[in-house]
Amino acid sequence: MAFQILLNIGLALIWMLLRTEYTVVEFMLGYIVGLLLLFVLRRFLHFDFYFRRVVAVFKLLVLFLYKLILSNIDMTKIVLSPNPDIQPGIIAVPTKLKTDWEVTLLANLISLTPGTLTMNFSEDGRTLFVHSIHVPDKEKAIAEIHDSFEKAIMEVTH
Amino acid sequence: MKNTPVQLHVITRIVAFIILAFSIFLFFAGHNNPGGGFIGGLMTASALVLLFLSFDIKTIKKVLPFNYAKIIASGLLLAVLTGMVGMFLGRPFLEQFFDYYQLPILGKTELTTALPFDLGIYLVVVGFTLLVILTIAEDDS
Repeated sequence: MAFQILLNIGLALIWMLLRTEYTVVEFMLGYIVGLLLLFVLRRFLHFDFYFRRVVAVFKLLVLFLYKLILSNIDMTKIVLSPNPDIQPGIIAVPTKLKTDWEVTLLANLISLTPGTLTMNFSEDGRTLFVHSIHVPDKEKAIAEIHDSFEKAIMEVTH
Repeated sequence: MKNTPVQLHVITRIVAFIILAFSIFLFFAGHNNPGGGFIGGLMTASALVLLFLSFDIKTIKKVLPFNYAKIIASGLLLAVLTGMVGMFLGRPFLEQFFDYYQLPILGKTELTTALPFDLGIYLVVVGFTLLVILTIAEDDS
């Protein structure tokens, strides 16, 4: 992956030398040309086309912002209702993520969306104990975390 | 014993990208400097031929699953359609239009209808060259 980025930057520099214009715009044009070439020859590379990960990071960001707005609205409803009908609870969420880095990212994303909070980890660090303000159905809550954040993180790192 | 040309593979992986970048540079340089669709297309074809030379046909066909006959057809179609734009506006066939535009990041840029026409030539040249070479290469009899 690092090699691909290096090759892309190298192609952008060659592009600048060919055009004999040493500006940021020209570098960007060269970078885009290099990116296109890498995309066309993506099956030729030993690793995945690296820009796929950049897109995946962007998707994760959009998903996080979407969830943030959604759960903020939910929290506002709960806070403003006179007698809230909520069932707080702590659920254990097993995760398939491998490295500590990914698990930390997942825990942070869960904590940053209001209503849920990562409290602790199991001994091997692969099960998260999540406190949620409203969990009528345990399985559903776990499945939701798996389908949204865990899947998006896996797309970035695999 | 079957030996693998490791050095050739590694160098080809890098050099092919540089040749392709040069061919795209030539394609865009064509308007005001030496270059253009024909030489750019030949340069692209030569980069692909280099890939075919250092790897086997099966691998590269998997990497680049293009149908070169269709590339020739789409290049011709693009060139003819570009030529017909003038006819729709009551001007002669192949009349070219150009103007200067202020694009967001690129600044003042000249956009002309000669560029899509050139792209058509580029596609025909790439498709034709590779079709000829691959047809000869695949002929076992």
